[in-house]
Amino acid sequence: MRHGAINLAFAVDRTKNAPALDEADLEDARDSLEGDSEAYRRLVERHQAYVGQILWRFSRDRQVHEELVQDVFVEAYLNLNSYREEAPFAHWLARIATRVGYRYWKQTKRQRRRENFSFKDWDQLLAEPSERMDPSQAAALVHELLAQLPPRDRLVLTLRYLQELDVAEAARRTGWSKTMVKVQTWRALKKLQKIAARAGKEISLS
Amino acid sequence: MKQKIRLDALIQQARGEQSPRVDVAGRVLTVLAARRQQPILASERLFMWLAAASSAAAVPAAILGFFLYNANSEPLREIAEAISWIVQ
Repeated sequence: MRHGAINLAFAVDRTKNAPALDEADLEDARDSLEGDSEAYRRLVERHQAYVGQILWRFSRDRQVHEELVQDVFVEAYLNLNSYREEAPFAHWLARIATRVGYRYWKQTKRQRRRENFSFKDWDQLLAEPSERMDPSQAAALVHELLAQLPPRDRLVLTLRYLQELDVAEAARRTGWSKTMVKVQTWRALKKLQKIAARAGKEISLS
Repeated sequence: MKQKIRLDALIQQARGEQSPRVDVAGRVLTVLAARRQQPILASERLFMWLAAASSAAAVPAAILGFFLYNANSEPLREIAEAISWIVQ
């Protein structure tokens, strides 16, 4: 596998605490494979909110967000025969969603670099404690800050901090090794500190 | 002294954000239906069979032609004769 590429092939979770499989999902996935479009509609309707939640952290533009969610379900359908029914359907979808979101970041990388980022706009917002800040406002700030990083760094910080995934789960989502996730996290945090230092600021992140 | 940004607190607050509602089921099914292959028309099917039959006939004809040519001529001598006037 290419270094750092996200592997779509489904890694089977063989841990003792593997989450239970949803019978309705399994049945609908099997029926979808046999060409039952209504079964696939049920799968989409059941999981679109979850996939939407994941992808909102990749794009805060409503139109792009919808397109990305749509892409995930189209890609999932085209790869449905690779779903091995050994872990929940939602986990499999989450991996595809991560891949789609990451691909979107890579495609829009050049465009983002042109945008000017300044901590000046933050000063007023950060005057009040974060706890009192509107979650959407806080999310927009975090999104803006992480957008200054290359896609790989941004991805690992989004998974580890925004989505609160542990190293093992982040590794599963990305297809990277656990060591790679740790190293990438460390590098990304260093880069973030550098960006802040250039603006005379310091970032505290435990 | 550098101003400190408590990113962990900011991220914690950001986690509480709800994503906008999406309903893509209809559009997904439309895209998938459009991607499915169109059925092959009867006329196209006829051309496919004709192309397959002519390919099947061409291969043994070419092999047979090669052996017949070799059996009825001596290619090396023909070439030597053709260039003999230059040698002279």
